[in-house]
Amino acid sequence: MTDSVVIWLKSTSVSQVMTMSPYVWPICEMLHFIGLALLIGGAGLIDLRLMGFFKSVPLSAVMQVRKWAALGIVINVITGALFFIGAPGQYIENPAWYGKLAFLFVAMVNVAVFETRQGKRILTIAAGEDTPVGFKVAGAVSMGSWFLVLYFGRMLPFIGNAF
Amino acid sequence: MTDLLTALAASSFSTWVRESPSIWAYPTILTLHTLGLGVLVGASWMVDLRLLGFASAIPTTALSRAFPTMWAGFWLNAFTGLLLFVGDPMKATTTVFAWKLGIIVVGVLLMIALKRRLAGRDVDAVGAGGGVKAIAIASLVLWVAAIATGRWMAYA
Repeated sequence: MTDSVVIWLKSTSVSQVMTMSPYVWPICEMLHFIGLALLIGGAGLIDLRLMGFFKSVPLSAVMQVRKWAALGIVINVITGALFFIGAPGQYIENPAWYGKLAFLFVAMVNVAVFETRQGKRILTIAAGEDTPVGFKVAGAVSMGSWFLVLYFGRMLPFIGNAF
Repeated sequence: MTDLLTALAASSFSTWVRESPSIWAYPTILTLHTLGLGVLVGASWMVDLRLLGFASAIPTTALSRAFPTMWAGFWLNAFTGLLLFVGDPMKATTTVFAWKLGIIVVGVLLMIALKRRLAGRDVDAVGAGGGVKAIAIASLVLWVAAIATGRWMAYA
C-alpha cells in the first residue's frame, strides 16, 4: 500500500521537478526556514503573553500577530508537502517524520481547542492583567509542541536518513 | 590562512563536532542553530512589521522589550555558529559564507540602531525620526537574505 503510494508520488511531474531541478528544492528549503521564523516570531510572542510575560500589552493586541504565525504555517505546510511529494521514501520510513507530524497535530489541536473554548475571554485580558492558569497551560503546550516540531524536523537526516 | 583552517579541521574537537555519532554533537548543535535563527529573526520581524503599521494595537512603547529575546537568539547562534565553523572550517573559505557573515553584521547593526531609536518611545505619537520605517524594511529584507545564504551554504 505505502509502496504503491510512494511509486505513484514519484511518478508525478511535481516530484520530478522537486528532485531534478538543482534550484527548486533549495528554494523550498529557504522558504521553509522563512516560514519557521515567522511561526516562532508570531506564535512565540502569543505563547509568551499567554504564559504571563509582556503584561503591559493587552492580549487582544498581541493576538494581532496571529496572522503572521498562520502565514508561517501555510508556507511550511505547502513546502513540506512538496518535500514529501519530491522524496516520499525518505519520510515514510523515518521515525523523526512521524514525531514531527505528531507534535504538529498536538500544536494544531491545542490552538483549535483554545480558540473555541477561550476565544471570547482572550479579548478581556487587558494591559497589566495576568492570564488564567488555562491560558498559561495552552501557551506552554504550544511553545513545547512547536519546539518539538522543529526538533524532529531538524532530526530528519540524523534519526532517519532524509537529505 | 588555509593552513590554519586545515590544522583546525584536523583537531580532535573539530573531528568530534563533524564525525561523532552522538546525537549531542552535530545534530544538537544544528538544532540549536535553527532555534536561534527562529528566535532572532522571528522577534526582529515582529518588531519590524509593527513599525511598518501591522498589529497596530501593540503599543510601540513595548517594542524595546523584544530586544533581549533577539539578543538571546543572536548569542545562541554566534556560539553554535562558532561550533559549526570549527566542525567544518573550510566552509569559511566559500563566498556564500562571507556574504552570510556580512549580512548578519549589518542586520545586527540595524538592530542596535533600532533599539536606540525606540528606547521605550511612542513612535506612533511623536515619531522617533531617523528613518525607523526604512530601518524596519532593511531589517526585514536582511534577515531574509541571512536565511537564504545560510541555507545556500548547505549546497555550496
